[in-house]
Amino acid sequence: MKRRSTPIEADLFALLDRLDGDGPTVVSSIRQPAALKEALKVAVGLGLDANANEATVQALRDRLEAFAQRRALDAHYAAHPEARPSLAEVAQAAAELDGDPLANEPALIRRAAKEIEAIRPGATADDVLVYAVALHSGARG
Amino acid sequence: MSTPPATVVLDNEAVQALADVNHRKHRRTLAILEATNRRSGRRGQHISVVVPVAVRIEAGWDRAASAAAALNRISRTRDVILDGQAADRATQLRRQAGCSVVDATVAQAAEASDGPVAILTSDASDMRRLAALIAGDTRVVRL
Repeated sequence: MKRRSTPIEADLFALLDRLDGDGPTVVSSIRQPAALKEALKVAVGLGLDANANEATVQALRDRLEAFAQRRALDAHYAAHPEARPSLAEVAQAAAELDGDPLANEPALIRRAAKEIEAIRPGATADDVLVYAVALHSGARG
Repeated sequence: MSTPPATVVLDNEAVQALADVNHRKHRRTLAILEATNRRSGRRGQHISVVVPVAVRIEAGWDRAASAAAALNRISRTRDVILDGQAADRATQLRRQAGCSVVDATVAQAAEASDGPVAILTSDASDMRRLAALIAGDTRVVRL
């Protein structure tokens, strides 16, 4: 049976791509916690964004973009399993992006990734970096 | 102290590596994208991945081509447009650094983006020289 998800996913990417143009806008209302609305108002006052509408639209767009990219990456790995980077490789990349001194210690990052994967399946690259700092501190202490 | 970037700028080889599953740096470039995606998804800490339009031209990346569909989807990059003002700045950087036109636009894009900025490049030494000329917190990540 053909999966129905494919055309819907294509729609998601097509719609996200249209966000860079001057497309039409619509007014919509959402039910939200009152405290969230107030927190947004305060955050805008503190400089989060120009106004509450812009902050809401940007936050929603960022979340949708991350979700769509996650789907695309997972589909890519399904087709090309050898392309999937390991947890250690992602942690190494994260350290380099952050300008973290740990980036100069790839062996430590590999060890941290190996140990944390054994005790915590689903660990993230940031978990690895925190663990690597602990290993580093332990080695020095 | 380390700080996650707000923007990642791709150079030509980063695009080439992403586009070609057989490229020797394909997996390495995906590791960079994974790091940005995980943070955007789980921590709500959005990191924009951008590509200067001159890089797209050099890399032969036509977003409208059907062959580019996978690259469009996995990268989710936004274009950095080269307008007159940006071209002037890139020209200044090119003159100062003696670099290629495309590298100058990479540096200009980094300078114009929200920082901190990470430039993903295969030519780290040239790009570090350019990064030293621009304003803001810019780090160079070798592919």
